[in-house]
Amino acid sequence: MEIIKTIGLTKKFGDFIANDNIDLIVEKGEIKAIVGENGAGKSTLMNMLYGLLKPTAGEIFIRGENVHFDSPNDAINKGIGMVHQHFKLVPSLTISENVMLGIEIDKKIIVGKHSFSMPSIDHKRESKVVQALIDRFQFGLNATDVVKNLSIGAKQKVEILKMLYRNVEIVIFDEPTAVLTPQEIEAFFKTMRELKQQGKSIILITHKLQEVMEVSDSVTVIKQGKIIGNRITKDTSNKELARMMIGREVLLRVEKHYQDYSEKPIIYEVNNLSTKNHEGINVVNGINFFLREGEILGIAGVEGNGQTELLDLLTGLLKSTSGTVRFLGKDITNEWPDTLRLEKIAFIPEDRYEQGLCTDMSIGENIIAGYHGNLDVCKNGILISKKIAEKRNRLIKNYDIRVSDCEGKVSSLSGGNAQKIIISREFDADPLLLIAAQPTRGVDIGAIEFIHQSLLNIQKNGKSILLISSELSEIMSLADRIAVIYKGQIIGEVSGKDASREEIGYLMAGILERSHENES
Amino acid sequence: MKVDKSVLKQIGLKTLNTIIPVLIAFAIGSIVILFAKENPLNIYFILFDRSFFRIQGFLKTLHYAGPLILAGLAIALSFKSGLFNMGIEGQIVSAGFVVAVLGYRWQSLPSITLIPLLLVSGILVGVLVALLPAFLKARYNVNEMVVTLLLNYAIVQILEYLTSNVFRDPSSGYVSTNMIGQSAIMTRLLGSKLTLFFFVVIIVFVIFYIIFNHSKLGFEITAMGKNRFFAEATGMRIQKKIMIIMLTSGALAGLAGAGWMLSEKFSYTLDFSGTPGLGWDGMLIALLGSHSPIGILIAGIFYAVLKTGSSNIAIFTNVPAEIIVLLQALIVLFLSLKSILKIKPIPVGKLFQRKEKS
Ligand SMILES: Nc1ncnc2c1ncn2[C@@H]1O[C@H](COP(=O)(O)OP(=O)(O)OP(=O)(O)O)[C@@H](O)[C@H]1O
Ligand SMILES: [Mg+2]
Repeated sequence: MEIIKTIGLTKKFGDFIANDNIDLIVEKGEIKAIVGENGAGKSTLMNMLYGLLKPTAGEIFIRGENVHFDSPNDAINKGIGMVHQHFKLVPSLTISENVMLGIEIDKKIIVGKHSFSMPSIDHKRESKVVQALIDRFQFGLNATDVVKNLSIGAKQKVEILKMLYRNVEIVIFDEPTAVLTPQEIEAFFKTMRELKQQGKSIILITHKLQEVMEVSDSVTVIKQGKIIGNRITKDTSNKELARMMIGREVLLRVEKHYQDYSEKPIIYEVNNLSTKNHEGINVVNGINFFLREGEILGIAGVEGNGQTELLDLLTGLLKSTSGTVRFLGKDITNEWPDTLRLEKIAFIPEDRYEQGLCTDMSIGENIIAGYHGNLDVCKNGILISKKIAEKRNRLIKNYDIRVSDCEGKVSSLSGGNAQKIIISREFDADPLLLIAAQPTRGVDIGAIEFIHQSLLNIQKNGKSILLISSELSEIMSLADRIAVIYKGQIIGEVSGKDASREEIGYLMAGILERSHENES
Repeated sequence: MKVDKSVLKQIGLKTLNTIIPVLIAFAIGSIVILFAKENPLNIYFILFDRSFFRIQGFLKTLHYAGPLILAGLAIALSFKSGLFNMGIEGQIVSAGFVVAVLGYRWQSLPSITLIPLLLVSGILVGVLVALLPAFLKARYNVNEMVVTLLLNYAIVQILEYLTSNVFRDPSSGYVSTNMIGQSAIMTRLLGSKLTLFFFVVIIVFVIFYIIFNHSKLGFEITAMGKNRFFAEATGMRIQKKIMIIMLTSGALAGLAGAGWMLSEKFSYTLDFSGTPGLGWDGMLIALLGSHSPIGILIAGIFYAVLKTGSSNIAIFTNVPAEIIVLLQALIVLFLSLKSILKIKPIPVGKLFQRKEKS
């Protein structure tokens, strides 16, 4: 049975056509994957199905019924739920309170045959109801836990619970796996299969074709706003999908030439670096590493082992409690971000919408941010709009950033193109050292190829890169050396050339003995 | 060309957003006027005709607009960056008071040195008053809104005491400081109330306009107000900027107070800043002008029209001058309906965590 069917669905932003005559069919009980380049129009399509955007033209049919949504509430009433990549949870509330937000269960007083609602919430009953739901789907959560203490994977489950409690039949996931660790992704797949077994239909947007192959029943490929093909998953391959998306063969792994750096000078040295979190726990606990000129050092690790804090320390956002950082012989411990940039260290931050971009400012303003005092755009404290526009246009062209209006705000960009704004800004600064965290999060395979190639080009020019990524394959295909972080410490290091997944996997899990055996 | 269209459309929408609340306020005002058995159109005609379309009236309006524009800019500067300097009123009256005392003490100096000296003193006083909340915010992240608000009350009390005791002019029939010397009074131009002070305001305005819209500092202020974490991560020194913004905001307020003293009041009395007070007026003006310099210039003049017009209404019609207060209140009400949702304070960024550890 066709649970969702769209006919000629079209969305325009001004003159720009983001969705062009989309005829999409989702069968009941299937997992439908939707793939396409950054800016192809995937999120736009989903936002129309979820009532966040209104179609310019075309029809949506749910179980054969023609529907018109004014808001997500209408969509939920028709059984469509969506889990966004950026969670919309209240951190200080418990899981059950978050699930019940807006539809709380009031306390009741029963007098004889009548029951009266009290103006207070029945927390006990709420958590009981939510716990029952959690158990039914085997989510392994505790309904009374406070959301802010949860891992990202668990937060995502809370979002899913919100939808399930509202009895949706169809769940849309927009890039759900981009922020998850490999372990969490496994768990997420299990959840999806569980949902499917219970008769729910799922739409999954992802850039990782591996995931499409592993979990979906059918795939729809979108390119420049149009559907260019539908496939049954078992009849297609990574390669075919990539070719359909991009229109050419894509290197799923870049060519890297390993070389010996042991003779090169050390340019960046981190010694015994530590810092505490709010609770006084050493989240970064005596970290040591160094980088030689022209070398790429990868830091692998399960997310939440101190990478974020280490990154904040190295980028000047957090103060260390002990230890030193030296760059080209100079002590730069606890220097401010602007000083570090002047030393020609560039950063690609982990959280693009929090630290990397200001969505409410224009593309041009974002492209100069951090370098807005540089002479090419700023003279005597005055910003030169013409120069900013020139720089913007040049980077948009060189980095193939797809924008519908170059004067527009960053909020009008698709997720992957927003990431490319940061990439272009930091690459263009021509740094001596690039500290890159999750550089390809949310970007399409074509762009990943491009970014990886660019990183290797930077290296070829003798610059050094510190690469922090939870994407093991990314680190393994780029890094010369791979250091593994575990509980705030570097617990081991392997050479990038002949590292094995297993070896790194053990280190990531904190198991030392195994890797020693391998080394000897 | 396409670009121009979208920019124009945005400006148009913004203007509409401010004009509609004003129109609603005037519409409700007309109902009240009808109760007073007058023709609203007639009243509004008198209001605008006498204070906007006649040259003398217009110059008078500009005269009153000067300090209002400065107060509006002072508010906009801090609000735009996500800081809430609610202390403009206190900064204005402090500057007015000190300038009154100095203008009396130093009256032997010639105008050409005295007046600039007094204006600068006013600025310094404004900066000084802003220093405490600025420091507390930048160093310890103490809520600047609370500190500045409370400081206002303390300042009013202190000045009341000083004016009625230490610095009281004994020859005056009411509580007031000594009148400033003749050489401290700014001369009126063109036979109107207008003084050179208005031109000082215009110069400040132009500088401000450039800084706000085209400078590195303006860029950083906007970024700070819109996304604190982004501003920090891209290397803008928030603590330093908080100091600069709060102190500049204080300087603008101080200048407003000094100018008001030297061009209009000449001695410090307890109602120096009027009701509700220049600083609070400034808040409405910043709101009306949607925190943009040009908007504030227009809003300041519009507001001054209401102010000067109110006396004309009292003189020429049966409607009490309070109708203007009603209009002002209604404008605030309808404007805030849309604004409440828009302005958000800056959250605590990572650098504050960093600071704690030092
Ligand atoms: N509000 C908007 N105003 C103008 N253009 C927009 C708006 N929202 C999206 N667009 C444009 O529509 C196109 C499609 O965007 P969409 O977010 O659907 O892409 P996507 O396929 O989800 O890409 P990604 O994989 O990068 O998330 C993009 O070119 C984007 O710039
Ligand atoms: Mg998207």
